[in-house]
Amino acid sequence: MGEVIVITSGKGGVGKTTTTANLGVGLVLAKKKVVLIDADIGLRNLDVVMGLENRIVYDLVDVVEGHCRVKQALIRDKRFENLFLLPAAQTRDKNAVSPEQMKKLSLELKEEYDFILVDCPAGIEQGFRNAIAGADRALIVTTPEVSAVRDADRIIGLLEAAEIKTFHLIINRLRPEMVKRGDMLDIDDILEILAIDLIGVIPDDEKIIISTNRGEQVAANANDSPAGKAYTNIVRRLLGETVPIMDFYQNQSFFSRLKKFIGLGG
Amino acid sequence: MNKYAVEFKGTKEGVTIYCLEDADFAEILSDLAAKLQQRSSFFGDATVSIDVGNRELTDEEREALMETITKNSRLRLKDIFSSQERGPAVTSAKRQGEMEDLALDGFTEGRALVIKRTLRSGQYIRFPGHVIVLGDVNPGAEIAADGDIYVFGTLRGIAHAGMNGDRTASVVALRLAPTQLRIADIISRAPDHADLPDQPEYAYVQDLRIMIAAITAK
Ligand SMILES: Nc1ncnc2c1ncn2[C@@H]1O[C@H](COP(=O)(O)OP(=O)(O)O)[C@@H](O)[C@H]1O
Ligand SMILES: [Mg+2]
Repeated sequence: MGEVIVITSGKGGVGKTTTTANLGVGLVLAKKKVVLIDADIGLRNLDVVMGLENRIVYDLVDVVEGHCRVKQALIRDKRFENLFLLPAAQTRDKNAVSPEQMKKLSLELKEEYDFILVDCPAGIEQGFRNAIAGADRALIVTTPEVSAVRDADRIIGLLEAAEIKTFHLIINRLRPEMVKRGDMLDIDDILEILAIDLIGVIPDDEKIIISTNRGEQVAANANDSPAGKAYTNIVRRLLGETVPIMDFYQNQSFFSRLKKFIGLGG
Repeated sequence: MNKYAVEFKGTKEGVTIYCLEDADFAEILSDLAAKLQQRSSFFGDATVSIDVGNRELTDEEREALMETITKNSRLRLKDIFSSQERGPAVTSAKRQGEMEDLALDGFTEGRALVIKRTLRSGQYIRFPGHVIVLGDVNPGAEIAADGDIYVFGTLRGIAHAGMNGDRTASVVALRLAPTQLRIADIISRAPDHADLPDQPEYAYVQDLRIMIAAITAK
C-alpha cells in the first residue's frame, strides 16, 4: 500500500511545484514507483516543469468524471519509467473536483504505486481542500520570508483541524549569506514560530531555474548542485533514513543548535 | 435533548446567559430550563440578561425565552440582546468539554477555557470567561475573553482581555510579544522593533493605559 503526500504552502511561488517534481525524481531513483498529481486546476504547470506538456491527452478532471480510466490519463516520464504524471485540467475550475473524488482516486493509486505526490494550489479554498483530501502526510513548503511563514502557519492550523497527523516543513530558497548579514529569517526563527519538524532545507540555487526551464529536475543529478543534494536528502528522510541537515554555514555551533529542533539521533 | 447549549456568567450587575453559537433553539430552551432549576435558589432574584449571539429571534422565540425564565426561576429579565459582531462564539469543542459551570464561590470569578495547543494564524477564540492557553499564540491568531488571558508559551498574536468592559482584566504570558493588546476599551500595539522578553510578564490597565510588568518570584 502506497503513501499519499501533499505538498502545500498557502502562499504561491514558494516552490511547491519544484519540490513535487524533484521529490518525485528522487523517489524513483530510490527504486520507488511514483505518481505526481497536479491538483492546481486551471493553473497547471507541473507538466511544463516535467517537460511533458505535449503528451497530455486526458487530465485529472477527465479521470474523476469517468471520461477515461486512470491508466489512460497517466503520462510516463521521458527519462524514468516508474515516474508518472496525472496532469491538471487547464480549462476547468477548482470546483470540478470534490474531496470525495480525490479520496477515491488516492485509494485506487495507492494499490499500485509506492508514492503519490500531490502538488497543491496556493490558497486555502476549495482547491486546497481537494488536494489534501486523500493525503496521509503533508509537506509544508515555506521560504524564509515573514509572509510565507505566516501562511504556512495558517496551513498547519488547517491541516491539524483536517486531522492529517503527519506533517513536516521544507524551507526553500535559503540564502546563507543573507542570514549571516541578518537580512533573512534564520532556520531556527522559522521553527520557533511553526514548531513542527523540519525535513529539509533547500538553498536558493540558480541550477533550479536552469534545469526547470529544460523540463529537468536537479534531483536527477544530485551531486551537480546543492539543491539537488538537498532534495535527495529529503527523499532519504522520507524513506526513514537519518540524514543531518546540510551545514550551510560551515559553522559547528549553528549546526548543533539545529539538532535540537529536528531530533537527529545519530 | 439536554445538550450543553447555554452558559451562565455572574457579575456584580447580575447574571448574563450566553447562548452557544452552534446550539439550536430547542436545545437552548431545554438546557436553560434544566440549569435554572438547578440554580434558582442560588441566583435568587438577581437581574438577568440573555445574549443570543448572532441569532435573530422571532417574537415567539423571545416569549419562549421569557417564559422559561419566569417558570423556572425568580430571576428578573432585564434584556435579551445579540452581540452581533462577535457573538459568544464558544466553539463546539468547548461544548463537549462538559465543564461544570459556575462553582458556588465562582459567582464573580466566572469560568475558564483551557486550550491545550498552539493557536495558529487565522484561529480565533472568543470566550465569556478566562482563557488559558498551554502553547503559543502565533501572529495572526486572536483571543478575546471577558476575563483574563494566560498564555503558557509565547504570545505573538492579538489578545483582548476584559472584552465586556472590565478594565481590571489582565494578560499574562511566559513571553509577552503580542501584535496588539486590548484590555476592555484600551488598545496598545507592539513597538515596531521589539525583542522577545526573556521572562514572564503581565499587562494591566493603569491610568487608562496598558502597562507591562515583569512577573518576579520574591
Ligand atoms: N530553491 C530554489 N532556488 C531558485 N529558484 C527556485 C527555488 N525553488 C523554486 N524556485 C523558482 O521559484 C519559482 C516558483 O516555484 P514553484 O515551484 O513554481 O512555486 P509554487 O508551485 O509554490 O507556486 C520558479 O520559477 C522556480 O524555478
Ligand atoms: Mg505551483
